[in-house]
Amino acid sequence: MSAFTEHFGISLRLHFRNKMALLYGYLFPLIFLAAFWVLYRYDKVPLLRHMGELLTVSVLGGACFGLPSTLVSERERGVWRRYRLAPVPTWTLVLSTIVARYVILLSAGLLQLGVALAVGMTMPAHPVDLWVAFTAVSFAFIGLGLVIAMMADSVPAVQALGQCIFLPMLIIGGVAVQLASLPEWAQHVSAFFPGRYAVEALQASVTGGGLGASRFSLLALALTGAAGCVAGARLFRWDAQQRFLASAGKRWIGPVLAAWLAVGGLAEWRGRIALAADAPEPAIKVNLPPVNVAVAVNVTVEPAKPLPLPPPPAPWEKITAQDIAGLDYRVPPDGGVVSPIAPEDDLPEDQTKTEVDGVRDGLIDWPMAKTADDIQNVRYLLCVAAVPDAIQMPVERYLPRVVYNHLIDKYPKEKLTKILTWIVLHPEDGAAVDSISDLGIDGAAGDPSIVRERSYLYAIKFIGRLTGKFEP
Amino acid sequence: MPAKVIVRDLSKRYGGVEAVCGVSFEIEQGEIFGLLGPNGAGKTTTLECLVGLREADAGMLEVCGLDARKEPREVKQRIGVALQSTALQDKITPREALKLFASFYRERADPAVLLERFALTEKADARFDTLSGGQRQRLALALAFVNNPELVLLDEPTTGLDPQARRELHAEILQMKRDGHTVLLSTHYLDEAEQLCDRIAIIDHGRVIATGAPRELIARSSGSQSVTLVTKPAVMAEQLVRLPGVKELRCDGTTVRFRTEHPTETLTALAALLAERRVELVELVVKKASLEDVFVGLTKSTAEGEKS
Repeated sequence: MSAFTEHFGISLRLHFRNKMALLYGYLFPLIFLAAFWVLYRYDKVPLLRHMGELLTVSVLGGACFGLPSTLVSERERGVWRRYRLAPVPTWTLVLSTIVARYVILLSAGLLQLGVALAVGMTMPAHPVDLWVAFTAVSFAFIGLGLVIAMMADSVPAVQALGQCIFLPMLIIGGVAVQLASLPEWAQHVSAFFPGRYAVEALQASVTGGGLGASRFSLLALALTGAAGCVAGARLFRWDAQQRFLASAGKRWIGPVLAAWLAVGGLAEWRGRIALAADAPEPAIKVNLPPVNVAVAVNVTVEPAKPLPLPPPPAPWEKITAQDIAGLDYRVPPDGGVVSPIAPEDDLPEDQTKTEVDGVRDGLIDWPMAKTADDIQNVRYLLCVAAVPDAIQMPVERYLPRVVYNHLIDKYPKEKLTKILTWIVLHPEDGAAVDSISDLGIDGAAGDPSIVRERSYLYAIKFIGRLTGKFEP
Repeated sequence: MPAKVIVRDLSKRYGGVEAVCGVSFEIEQGEIFGLLGPNGAGKTTTLECLVGLREADAGMLEVCGLDARKEPREVKQRIGVALQSTALQDKITPREALKLFASFYRERADPAVLLERFALTEKADARFDTLSGGQRQRLALALAFVNNPELVLLDEPTTGLDPQARRELHAEILQMKRDGHTVLLSTHYLDEAEQLCDRIAIIDHGRVIATGAPRELIARSSGSQSVTLVTKPAVMAEQLVRLPGVKELRCDGTTVRFRTEHPTETLTALAALLAERRVELVELVVKKASLEDVFVGLTKSTAEGEKS
């Protein structure tokens, strides 16, 4: 057997004999998965909207901690010094290490995907694209892992360096916290981290338009991965006695940083920072013709469903009492994080009060809610409550009551109940907005599917109030 | 037959420190050659330059007829190396390690044969972290033989081993010679060098200060012999120091040690002195100079030369 195959095989075997590696490589990603499942338990399809984040966290952990920890501990023990006595080229051993790590990451990703499917997630929209995107993400982070391995002089140094990259990527890099929830400055910073592009590329393959919709992300991942692999090879150290700061090759860190800066700069230059432009969901952006107003509003409309087409929905007038009674009223509590509604006696203060008043007044002449289609009008009004909730703005808990009061002023109770029920039974139909900036609330949810889910929850809560199931 | 290893004027610096300076020696086919010196003398650096772990600053290195500085990879195909401490991954087994390292070479020995030869068959499938120090070192030797090497280089192979494991390893090294292998061994154990090596080079402060067979080096030395005697009662040091040829006199109660280049003359005078003083001679030991004496003498004179 060749040196490559033999070293590849032994790397895999040793990985599966290491209890700690199995814990970090397989159990931790599943813990993340369980945490996301609990956190987003009100999603229509469990975990589907979060597979990009979950897979990115797995690859990030395996490549930026697992790979360098193994390499550095072997170097510290003198294993690589012993390898150096053999007439085998460096690239053979490094490449077999990388390929073995890729197989380990792929197995962890497949396990995560399998468990997600087992708990009710539907199949990703583009499975082959997902594999390609996963490979690109692995390549980018394995390159990064190699650089960490060559910079760190000891295993504790791997942990320190890894955390310096892992945590910012998780928190402000768009990996664990959705970009829509981040302040604008953080969204700009995230453009310089490969984690953002990893999530985008993976999520586009799970729920979006596949590789075609994530070309920039794939390019960004390829660039950062190539820079990492080249620098990792140039910085390669066989011996623990060779220290990073004393090594002649340390200037090769420059190209790695340059690649990150180039990707971030390119994203800024191409205007890809704004969420509406590069949200992971595929979106067809259209400008609805303004009706009697001067302001055009961006509306995000999801693409038509593939065949077979569902049967045409029944008109809302045909909604029966059984339909209303048969709805699933298990929704998050009003005082929770998802779809909150402030109690009637909880009044907003200062800036929030100004915003709430502005929306209340703005709704009277809001053109979006003045079309001939009552269902679409109500759907847009639900978005006024759903968008701030998706972005987690301070005003989120006060606007639902404003919307509810506006709805009961505008429609008879029975008609409103039926329209809301129809929307709940047909959550994917019609259009939704991901921004209500024309009502004075800045920010965009980015992902229209979140807005639709939150609209669904508010519709249930409003029906509950209209039918007396919930407290007013 | 051409020499298996030729080292000429090898030099290596680490920053401002001259680790090896103009080291030269030759190793003939089929001999065990020892690099002997105290810690930090430059033995390991010399060896590491030969095996390609470090790049020499200057000098000529010829190994198995190849220029080791120009063709390091080809040289590696023909040599086997056991480092001072060979650590492998905790969970790898001897069988897997031998198979892995064999895959790195054109010429490959059968792992089963090596396991048998180095008494590791019973531990073939045991994890590395469960092996004893002696078993680990035997595995290191087995790894040095995975490519049926022409030349075997052993860097302080018995350091840290218990006496039993050392004896076993010495037997292995002598077996290598019987099998026709050429062996380069670095050590700071004088008894090991004296017992195993056909020839040695004594290296100190990065320079070779003597080369030859251990017996030749001893014979070439000053020829002084050490005398140890125990008397009852003790003899006064002032009386002993006046005896002909007495040097380096040390008295410790009834035990006296000194060196002399003329033992017959000195001991005749000593016997007369003891008889005259009615002192009983309890024990008398006269020893020829050992390799240790040669080594201490040479390294001491090097240090004194550098001071002056």
